[in-house]
Amino acid sequence: MDPLAGMDDSSTDDDNTSQTTEDDPQVPEHDPPPPPAQPAPPPSSQQPSRVQRPNYQLQHTLIGHTKSISAVKFSPDGTLLASCGAENTVKIWSPFTGELVRNLTGHTEGLSDIAWSTDSVYLASASDDKTIRIWEVDTGVTQKTLKGHSKWVFCLNYNHNSTLLVSGACDGDIRIWDTKKGGVLIHTINRRCLKTLHAHIDYVTAVHFNRDSSLIVSCSLDGQIQIWNTTNGQCLKTIVEGHDAIWYVVSRCFFESPVDLTTSPRPRISAFLIAQTYSQHVQFSPNSKYILSTAHDSAIRLWDYQTTRCLKTYTGHVNKKYCICACFSVTGGKWIVAGSEDHKVWLWDLQTREVVQVLEGHSDVVVAVATHPSKNMIASGSIDSDLAIRIWEDRTGTERG
Amino acid sequence: MNESLINPFSTITHPTAVQTSLYAYGTFARFDPSGRYIGVGRIDGVATIWDLETREAIRGLDGHVKAVTSLDWSRNSRYVLTSSKDWNVIVWDLAAPWDPPQRHATIRCDAPVSSASFHPRNSQIVLALLNTGEVYLIDLRKNHRSRNELCEPDEGDEDGGQRSAMTTARFDPSGRYVFVGTHSGTILVFSTRTKTMIARHRIAGGAGSLKGFDFPKSGRRLVTNSSDRILRQFIVPQYPPPDPDGVFIETELEPTHRFNDPINKTAWHTMSYSPDGEWLAGGAADPATHKIYIWDISNDGQFASTLDGGREPLAHLHWHPTKSSIASTTKQGSVLIWHSPNPEKWGAFAGGFEEVDENVEYEEKEDEFDIEDEEEMLKRKMKAEEEEIDIDTVIEDTSRPSNKLQAHGDDEDLAWADGDPDEDIAGWTMKIVMDDEDM
Repeated sequence: MDPLAGMDDSSTDDDNTSQTTEDDPQVPEHDPPPPPAQPAPPPSSQQPSRVQRPNYQLQHTLIGHTKSISAVKFSPDGTLLASCGAENTVKIWSPFTGELVRNLTGHTEGLSDIAWSTDSVYLASASDDKTIRIWEVDTGVTQKTLKGHSKWVFCLNYNHNSTLLVSGACDGDIRIWDTKKGGVLIHTINRRCLKTLHAHIDYVTAVHFNRDSSLIVSCSLDGQIQIWNTTNGQCLKTIVEGHDAIWYVVSRCFFESPVDLTTSPRPRISAFLIAQTYSQHVQFSPNSKYILSTAHDSAIRLWDYQTTRCLKTYTGHVNKKYCICACFSVTGGKWIVAGSEDHKVWLWDLQTREVVQVLEGHSDVVVAVATHPSKNMIASGSIDSDLAIRIWEDRTGTERG
Repeated sequence: MNESLINPFSTITHPTAVQTSLYAYGTFARFDPSGRYIGVGRIDGVATIWDLETREAIRGLDGHVKAVTSLDWSRNSRYVLTSSKDWNVIVWDLAAPWDPPQRHATIRCDAPVSSASFHPRNSQIVLALLNTGEVYLIDLRKNHRSRNELCEPDEGDEDGGQRSAMTTARFDPSGRYVFVGTHSGTILVFSTRTKTMIARHRIAGGAGSLKGFDFPKSGRRLVTNSSDRILRQFIVPQYPPPDPDGVFIETELEPTHRFNDPINKTAWHTMSYSPDGEWLAGGAADPATHKIYIWDISNDGQFASTLDGGREPLAHLHWHPTKSSIASTTKQGSVLIWHSPNPEKWGAFAGGFEEVDENVEYEEKEDEFDIEDEEEMLKRKMKAEEEEIDIDTVIEDTSRPSNKLQAHGDDEDLAWADGDPDEDIAGWTMKIVMDDEDM
């Protein structure tokens, strides 16, 4: 199934040169690379061009979380790092010194996701207490509490102007919120929450606006990546892997009687642990032309959503159980950065799909990664037995520009 | 950018249905050049700025003591101009991080202001039409600070030298010229730079007092509204550079199209071109209904459709700068946002499915179910993935040419307007002012 498993070969020798594990001796270096190597040649062999490689080094280890970390996010101005996890607080860190700046407390249950407003003033957090809070980060005050989801809120994101907030919950609902009015108690669902998309049968695991906020991409554990029209909530496209053939349906015969998609709740295993083999994180590329998805077949894919074509596949890491985040790094070279269940952070070259660096240091599954908006900096967060956030920086990259 | 995904038939058509209505208590509403906001003028002197994404009023521009008569947006929507019957024109700066936003400039006039607008290239040049039938060009730039009245040259000849009152005034989309309509039905064209009149046009057959102009983005056509209840479209002539001796062209313009309502003979409040200039919408001044007439310019100006917006009579309309959407204001003050809805595609819910209108006999391709060599497929896939892709270059929306009109080297008019530029730069952001939590 895994066509690119052979890539692993090309990267293992590289691992040794880029190890940055000074402070963490119990790193499981013997961890076997998961898929057995296939005879398929690594893609790099076709073109001998030497790809510039990043040189990320561990800068800081941020200790403070007492339960599994679920998300880390740099503020858009780059001055702060926010993190959240299964405990009830959001932590704000300085990425340059590694110091804890502030705890944002108020949620009554664990958190699954956080998102910064574009001006870096506000932070929204999604919690298992079914609410979203909007914090003013400087003061640590909750500005708004958005209530309406009937299940744990799993993911959220601001639009580019920070006027809207999109959130996905564990009952399959996607909601679009007005950040200005936010928590005003009005019963008309149209005002408070502009639109409810009864979208997915299963957990919605990621939602993201495109640049001009006209589209939302979402994905869920039922294996579907869907693209929605923000203004009217219409589904525009569903992307599934491996269907090149087109099947024709005469319109509507399929959906004549709308299926109730809000099915009964699913048993909860943990905040982000459900085993299925489908996409579980998705986002638009910086220019919104493509979408990047991670999936439980240990592959990260870059899609052209207009044509529904998979343009790139990145493999080598392990991702079978957890909702693992991947992101674009565009500050120096163009990399794809992702966490992995082998306790490492993997970096691929965007174009060649080669593994260019593997960051070792965490001692448990890395579920959260984030890239700094302007510096060559990566933050990664890990679960259960590790509980640390690590900040990695590539100092050489700044000159390379 | 995603027009093709949202609407696969991506040409602009006219809107057909009301999408939403804003209870704005306004007398008119104008989209900003990006189409994200709408500015509403109210009779109590307040203008409100609405965010169309959230459909909320996000700013209240509270500065006038009498009714707001017009509102205009700068190129990148940072500055908003409001004119009022209280003799003032106020320029507001929306980049200020509070609500109400900062007053950027106040222009005091000598009479109630009927309308005012920004120069399309520089928001420090303001055109104001006064109730008394005079038009002023006000330049707020440090090095050009001036206030000039645009006057028809005195001829003192057999007409008795009686100058006709000016009833409407607008910049053309390039900003080179000011078009002024008069009570006697002539169109006067002034050079913005020299403030001299360069042309005077009579309308063939006469038209009565002129009530309004609109230009498509190209600026090559002009539609006029006049008291004889006919909308006329003209081709805008090419004007030579202003003559230093004050000689001007005097011609008669023959309309290419006349739009009217042949049955009810209703008058028109306003008219507005679609972004591509292919459609014209006219707002009927019918006292009992809310009717918008749409004509198809590309199809020789044929009448296309009437939109019925219910029982609240229409007061004003404005076409969205990029989309097939219209904002029409009712006499009761609501702003109706019209759109052209796309039917929901149920096939979109299933990946790899495509909807067809009727059953088709499926014809299997020759090689469709052939078993392919997996290695071959894998190789092909790897080959396809070699392709270079670009993830972070943002292709700017080309449908907004207004602020990209480059001064063509020796174009004196544009260079003059661009000198001493304003601070209206693309990419500024309006701060979200959050409402207080009342819980």
